[in-house]
Amino acid sequence: MLRILKITGQSMLPEYQDGDFVVIAAAPVFLRRLKAGDVVVFGHESYGTLIKKIERVAEDGNLIVSGTRADSLDSRRLGPIALDKVRGKVIWHIR
Amino acid sequence: MIKQLLEALDRRVGFEQAQAHCDIPCGIYDPSTAQIAALTVVRMMDLMAALESGEQKSTGEFHNSMERYVTVKEEHAEKAKHEIRIIWGDYFKKDKHPNVDDLVYRIMQLGSKCRQTASREAGLELVAAINEFAAIFWETKGVKTKKANAPYAPSLEMVYPDL
Repeated sequence: MLRILKITGQSMLPEYQDGDFVVIAAAPVFLRRLKAGDVVVFGHESYGTLIKKIERVAEDGNLIVSGTRADSLDSRRLGPIALDKVRGKVIWHIR
Repeated sequence: MIKQLLEALDRRVGFEQAQAHCDIPCGIYDPSTAQIAALTVVRMMDLMAALESGEQKSTGEFHNSMERYVTVKEEHAEKAKHEIRIIWGDYFKKDKHPNVDDLVYRIMQLGSKCRQTASREAGLELVAAINEFAAIFWETKGVKTKKANAPYAPSLEMVYPDL
């Protein structure tokens, strides 16, 4: 299943700018193969729907995520992201 | 073209938003608080030394002043450590700034030494280490820095953002 989302915020600059659009894929074939460098959209109980880059996949399968700026909100504050919270992998960036 | 189409569609139907958050709540980091705290530590050490070199050492005034200087030295050494820990923990990323870890560890050790002792040398090392941290911090922001003596005692050389 594909979805279109609009990006708000600055933490993914310079690649992803405020107002850009992304198409995400939620099919298991995409989510099973997530790896460092992939950009994902996920739900967080405190911060809502977020878009972040995967820093690494932990041994337990959870994702360690970050933005692309030094002051980005990341897994040190968000915690590891469980796979069942991932809404999809970005497969198309429309800027 | 596609983006313009999506923007028009977004105005009509409103796509769901994915937030690319920066740090919460404010994202405001500045090492100047730690720098001023470190300067205060040295200032208190100087006042302690001046008091000690005076003649009236057994008076209530002496003990009152010495107690106050020591207390402020304690507070500001801890404050400097706290402020550095915040920037280090919430702002710096280990993979992008690997050398900061060792520097922060040194600042923690120096801060503790400044609490445990009245060593001005330790105070000067604390100021220098936090200046080094400030220079790295401003570099990550793309802000040039300059060195100048603080316009108050102790007028040590400090790193300031050249805005």
